[in-house]
Amino acid sequence: MSAHTVSMRDALYEAPGPKTRRLTIVGTILSLVLVGIGLALVVRQFYVSGQLDAKYWVFFTQLHTWRYLFDGFLGTIRVAAMAGAISLLLGVLLMLGRISNVRPLSAVCRVIIDFFRGVPSLLLIYFFYLVIPQYGIRLSAFWMITLPVALAASGVLAEVFRAGVNAVPKGQTEAALSIGLTPGKTMVKIVLPQALRIVVPSLISQLVVVVKDTTVAYVVSYPDLMQNARVLITTHDAVVSVYLVVAVLYILVNYAINQLSITMARRSGNPIVSRTTENPT
Amino acid sequence: MGFAEVFEEYGANYAKAIFETLSMTAICFALAMVLSILITVMRVSPIKPLRVVGDLYVQVFRNIPGVALLIVVAYALPNLKVVLPWKTCVEVTVVLLASAFGSENFMTGINAIGVGQIEAARSIGLTFGQTMSKVVIPQALRSAVLPMTNLLIATMLTTALGSQVPLNPQELTGLVSYITTRSTGAGIIPFVISALCYAGTAFLLGIVGNRIDKKVRVLR
Repeated sequence: MSAHTVSMRDALYEAPGPKTRRLTIVGTILSLVLVGIGLALVVRQFYVSGQLDAKYWVFFTQLHTWRYLFDGFLGTIRVAAMAGAISLLLGVLLMLGRISNVRPLSAVCRVIIDFFRGVPSLLLIYFFYLVIPQYGIRLSAFWMITLPVALAASGVLAEVFRAGVNAVPKGQTEAALSIGLTPGKTMVKIVLPQALRIVVPSLISQLVVVVKDTTVAYVVSYPDLMQNARVLITTHDAVVSVYLVVAVLYILVNYAINQLSITMARRSGNPIVSRTTENPT
Repeated sequence: MGFAEVFEEYGANYAKAIFETLSMTAICFALAMVLSILITVMRVSPIKPLRVVGDLYVQVFRNIPGVALLIVVAYALPNLKVVLPWKTCVEVTVVLLASAFGSENFMTGINAIGVGQIEAARSIGLTFGQTMSKVVIPQALRSAVLPMTNLLIATMLTTALGSQVPLNPQELTGLVSYITTRSTGAGIIPFVISALCYAGTAFLLGIVGNRIDKKVRVLR
């Protein structure tokens, strides 16, 4: 909803009269007090259990702590970027198979898409970490985390792309066919370029899921942000402070990606298609 | 290991694991629904601090990776003298994550109704309570069926986080890791069984959700 219209949130209420305004002020003060008490209790719990001691926090003032975390973050970016790239390619291929007129191909792609959307990424990671080596295939830690994350994302992306293709007006395909383009050319030259532009915001928001999935890299001991945080914890014996800082870092990164996707969606007028908004079957 | 051997040796474990995954999914989803309604009420209330807290809650828990949250709950909280049983840790994590997305679904449902309907309701003299119960909530619930089905499936997939802490009995993902590290040469079968349980359940839930949605959807 754009800024100049009234948002739904505000439209729910009429302009308050003096009585309601007083009630709202009382409610505001009361809730502020409650939030304050809640925060105080949390801080107290930190204090009582000694987690506010300087030794747990002082190493965050040192540059090499942050450099080490940044190294881990680079690892996260490497995995996320590679997994994102693979899943884009796989997603497009699966989508093309899914919408093709060749029945068996369409059915197979549908099963593959549903499989990767219906299986937890952790299970896929265990597949690459524990099952594949039993068949004598040796993968590096990087690929043991990147491939499952990419596969899990490709199922969702295929559906996102399909939504994009469906959003391209039918007239475009009809026009392309009527000027003599083959169905293949129509897809590649007319439909796909437009569909890709439509799904850009959705692709960016999907990146959040990829980044989240990379967090499990510690299972395969790949040095990403979380794994480096665990090393920091053992060297400084500081569980709470490190995990809290790392959690906040992840939240900020993902928040930034989400905001970018929302901005792109608003600017282009294309909706964000994600796991939660798509059709589950 | 062949299918028969796995079934013979670990059949009972699988039965328990399926029950564990499904029951955790049901409990977490129910709690997440209650919590997300509460959060949504806070976010549309006229009281500013409540709105801010509700928005912050959603932004935090929709952006934090599940494993990171689980680790904070399971390994950081005990240092703050909050010790929860392993299973409760997983459930708390899943509920916190799912409720943030649930509240987003409700907000999308509410936003889709359109300001004009509220204005129309008010102009024909409905009170705030009537507008909410006759206009806003029924439509918001109807348009939330599909997103909530997806959320239910996502909740099931998120319970796989249970494999990161020692659960007893294990859920479907933890069991695969348990079997594969215990029996050498267990092969691909344990993975396939678990994967099919997940994907099959997701598929069935999707069909049911879609049926309900077709019946109750508000056509705009």
